[in-house]
Amino acid sequence: MAAILAEAGLDVVVLEAGPRLETDDFTGDEAAMTQRLYGMAVAAGSGLAVYAGRCVGGSTVINDALCFRPPPEILASWRDEYGLTGLTDAAFAPPVDAVWHDVHVVPTDRAHLNRNAHRLGVGAERLGWAASATPRNVKDCANLGLCNLGCPSGAKQSTLLTYVPRAERAGARVLAGVRAERVRVEGGRVLGVVATRLGDDGGPRGRLTVDAPLVCLAAGVLGTPALLQRSGLPAGDGVQFHTSVHVSARFREPIHGYYGPTMAYAVHELSDVNGHAGPGVMIESVAGHPLVTAPTIPGFGAEHAAVMANLPYLARALVVIRDRTRGHIDADGALHYDPLPADLERLRAGMIGAARAYLAAGALEVYVPVHGVAPLRSEVDLARVEALALAPSRFALVYAVHLFGGATMGGGASAPCDETGAHRAARGLYVTDAAGLPSNTGVNPQITIMANALRIGHGIVATRGR
Amino acid sequence: MTGRLLAETDVRRAAAMLGRRDVLRLAGLAAAAGLVPGGCAGLPDDLAAPPDAELRVLTPRTYAVFTAAAARLVGPAGAELIRARRPDVGVQADRFLANAPETAGPLRQALLVLEFAVWPLAPKLRPFTSLAAPAQDAVLGALMRSRFDLARQIFGGVRSLAYFAFYGARESRLLTGYPGPFGSDAVTIGDAMVERDAEFVP
Repeated sequence: MAAILAEAGLDVVVLEAGPRLETDDFTGDEAAMTQRLYGMAVAAGSGLAVYAGRCVGGSTVINDALCFRPPPEILASWRDEYGLTGLTDAAFAPPVDAVWHDVHVVPTDRAHLNRNAHRLGVGAERLGWAASATPRNVKDCANLGLCNLGCPSGAKQSTLLTYVPRAERAGARVLAGVRAERVRVEGGRVLGVVATRLGDDGGPRGRLTVDAPLVCLAAGVLGTPALLQRSGLPAGDGVQFHTSVHVSARFREPIHGYYGPTMAYAVHELSDVNGHAGPGVMIESVAGHPLVTAPTIPGFGAEHAAVMANLPYLARALVVIRDRTRGHIDADGALHYDPLPADLERLRAGMIGAARAYLAAGALEVYVPVHGVAPLRSEVDLARVEALALAPSRFALVYAVHLFGGATMGGGASAPCDETGAHRAARGLYVTDAAGLPSNTGVNPQITIMANALRIGHGIVATRGR
Repeated sequence: MTGRLLAETDVRRAAAMLGRRDVLRLAGLAAAAGLVPGGCAGLPDDLAAPPDAELRVLTPRTYAVFTAAAARLVGPAGAELIRARRPDVGVQADRFLANAPETAGPLRQALLVLEFAVWPLAPKLRPFTSLAAPAQDAVLGALMRSRFDLARQIFGGVRSLAYFAFYGARESRLLTGYPGPFGSDAVTIGDAMVERDAEFVP
């Protein structure tokens, strides 16, 4: 967005609450990078955790580089259910193609498939399931396995390396450590932004006021809806996630799941988009560093430690569902999201699916992330997962990734934003991030989110001065 | 981002759940009943924080409760490392909580409840830090399996913080075989890639 506007000759200032880290700052240290790059929130009641990038470049700095085009079923739903008549496949294709090119999406070849991905692929192949290696936005990937801690080799083409420098070359100024507090609106017209400068400790260091007749919000689903509400503008409804759990499996031979692309392979069999008719579950290979693995293994003590001692032999998969649950975000950022029983059933289907794939691939044991469930050693053991009473607090870890909504676009007046991304209550104000998307996508959404921002940006440029 | 399942996230998740008034009420009741002694009276010496620790969030007691619980949660070999303060999980947790003020209060309360709660919330009549290891395991197991949501949340919060503090530390690599972020002489990044003779290449 900033690049499109700056290249069109606008004077652009980008405000980012998080720090600006560059490739050389990414050390690969799990604990340190996690604390520096991630922002988080927790849903009241259910305790579901959600997180997002909190740095210049946002979540593209900490994602796993997986790239999917927006599924046609989702675009059809946005048209038919939400009145976004202009967001057809054909209309959305140009910005999707542009992003695909700009962030250098390439197929994942054999040289970039690790054993972790391979074991999931073998299982899917033996079950006859739809599955494939996944395109990623990388150049000369060194297989470090650190995509989601900030890529230390600069291979991952996050916006930190693509759109942000491009915006700066066109004259945009990027201010890190500045948190937008509210949008200034008078008489239905946007006037600018009031922000707070933050110190290294996150504490306030003074006020900053930006005068601007055009404001584009991209504070993320955790930020944009709350920011709008603090500005006296309607927002907050329609929040939706891709809720997730992890399944791990121990093999006889070493896997070393902490190296190689953090994610590179996906089982589509249980998906309900891109022509599939499953319950709405993707199963994706995912890296297995110690800090991220430990909380996903159920139980504690000697048994838990015994599994962790086998870390080099563990393969891991992310079970990520297309939620039907809807939530809400308050003006103070408080998040309300209680998974529907049907979504808990999707998690169950995903756990069983991942376990079946690993068992088919020859896993010795499979660990599902629910306390009290002993390791699964055969298909017969899957009945124990079928019989589980599921609730968020019974999982060793359940969380949500891929956040959508809260300031959605729609054809009806009840949607805060119209199809161009413009907020209906403040002229000159646009929602350009995933908060504007009317639903989740069923696949990793970074391409959809960036393409939508490009689409909105080009629309702003085209109509400027009218 | 989907792969980055954060122990830190889970700590915050658990902390938010623990932020309920129930926990505060439990801690308050315990204090009102005189069950919560001040300072570090009655604490075993081997659970004391080092004099130079400069704790910012944890008290001597909550440091001790957390260290004792973490030692049970990580298993016998990890417990040996924790006893040797390699790593000092209490200091690591204190650092984390100091940078996450919204989680500090609830987790501190959770540690006090773990220390002083009695039946029916926890199967004990004495402070957690005064129990022998098998009894501590029994308490943690009862919390994990409890029919009370609150008890499971207390377990989840302390467990997550313990794993963050322990498995985020370099010393724990001895127990997991993790070679570090860029490979080692013994394990290279190439060792993780798909084998040349793989029967099937996705």
